[in-house]
Amino acid sequence: MTPVVRIRGLEKRYGALSALGGVDLDISPGEIFALLGPNGAGKTTLISIVAGLVRATAGTVSVLGKDVVRDYRETRRAIGLVPQEINFDPFFTVEETLRIQAGYFGVRLSEARLVELLDALDLAAKRKVNSRALSGGMKRRLLIGKALVHEPRVLFLDEPTAGVDVELRRSLWSYVRGLRDRGTTVVLTTHYLEEAEELADRIGVIDRGRLLVLERTEELLRRHGAKTLRLALARPVSEPPASLAVLGATVEDGGGAISVEVSAGGSFGEVLAAASAAGLVVRDVETRRTTLEDVFVRLLAADHARGEGR
Amino acid sequence: MISLGLRTLLVKEIRRFMRVPGQTLAAPLVTTTLYFVVFGYSLGSRLREVEGVPYARFIVPGLVALGVVTNAYLNTASSLFVMKLQGTVVDLLVSPLSHGEVLAGFLGAGVVRGLLVGAIMWAVAGVFGGFELAHPLLAVALLALAAIAFSALGFVTAVWARTFEQVNFFPTFFITPLTFLGGVFYSTSMLPPALRWLTSLNPVFYMVDALRYGMLGISDASPAAGAGMLLLLAAGSVGVAHALLRSGYRLRG
Repeated sequence: MTPVVRIRGLEKRYGALSALGGVDLDISPGEIFALLGPNGAGKTTLISIVAGLVRATAGTVSVLGKDVVRDYRETRRAIGLVPQEINFDPFFTVEETLRIQAGYFGVRLSEARLVELLDALDLAAKRKVNSRALSGGMKRRLLIGKALVHEPRVLFLDEPTAGVDVELRRSLWSYVRGLRDRGTTVVLTTHYLEEAEELADRIGVIDRGRLLVLERTEELLRRHGAKTLRLALARPVSEPPASLAVLGATVEDGGGAISVEVSAGGSFGEVLAAASAAGLVVRDVETRRTTLEDVFVRLLAADHARGEGR
Repeated sequence: MISLGLRTLLVKEIRRFMRVPGQTLAAPLVTTTLYFVVFGYSLGSRLREVEGVPYARFIVPGLVALGVVTNAYLNTASSLFVMKLQGTVVDLLVSPLSHGEVLAGFLGAGVVRGLLVGAIMWAVAGVFGGFELAHPLLAVALLALAAIAFSALGFVTAVWARTFEQVNFFPTFFITPLTFLGGVFYSTSMLPPALRWLTSLNPVFYMVDALRYGMLGISDASPAAGAGMLLLLAAGSVGVAHALLRSGYRLRG
């Protein structure tokens, strides 16, 4: 499938500092792609280069087959960007703001489209209100409205839910899924791992300007993740039975519990059968799956260890 | 054919200054009236006529020029600089507007504000000294050219500036002093030779002088020199502004 965004050998240097050190990345049509990384990893720099806010030192970026520098007018029509920092023009109302932004893109905003956007972003009641008077959450939704006003093929969301309350975050996630379902490709940067896990079809982990991992979300969790079964025992044991010890079981809570970790794709069937055969009396069962956060921390730790070894 | 994008930016920039008319239109009206009352009446009663023109009329072209260039400069400089500060400049930078369209939108609004203020000042001046214009088309063309030049200088300053102090640097230390020393309130024939020579180095003098020819039909130097100077200044400043936009200097990282 032809990628919507194609990035090759992308580099950005600020003097001696390398913000991006040769990134290759393809974004497929209709996917939600999450770019994960700690602060200063290069996430914003990368999407800013695609959107035309930052100039690359080396490398190429194309959107729908067009170069973002040479054919900037065409690529920018295909892109919507929700910047990380909230901005608003205190001279204009919500409606005026959306109409102006549409105009910049050569689009005359129809009443129907305006109403649709305002409804979707829960801003209908604020249509005639000056953007200065909006709450922080509303201002952020207005930013999303501005990015969508020209119906872009690719939407870039830079930390879309930073500082946003849980309720709004959930409603934004559901809106982003809806956009994807209607065919918009979505690229988001976040350091909320829950957000990436919840939303993304594919994840790229970036650190110190380099893409460390690029995988489908479930694959990333399966390959790097694990799950743990914890059996709380009615009668404590001093050590795990041999049949469980060979499966890697460890004793916890002074013998009150036994814990076994298996790979993300593995099964607990064998563990439960061995526990039963060994005559353990189980009082309670808990399972825990590795979160993206665990995977992320491991990946970054490994990258930093490699960096220090160089 | 003006694109919808350019039209949107131009109308937005005009609406922006029209929403604060007290600051953008009424303030120059008050200042001009004070100039005419203080200078026109107090000095006018002593000087009566300069180069055959009543003093209250003699100072009109210079004051109109000062109003036009200051407002054309401030409109572009403050609007773009505030957009940079607020982050709303991103809305323009991610849009498909060409560099030429962005520049034309800002300069167009700067010219409209400059000429509106100029018209208000001329109307106030007319109350004091009469409304006739010697060469109306030339006067309007010169003022439009001056507005383009200073609007573009405002654009360049806003791109470069990191603080409000830097935005105000140019009008405080260049526009106002050069205009006041550029023969707004006197004819160079009234000056001793050394000062007359110094004045001949001041580019604003030629602008004021040419405009005085356009409005009153009198001039110290050749009006063509003033028109040529303005044309050069406009072409140069627009060229620099366009080059800055193209390079992304202090706008794109």
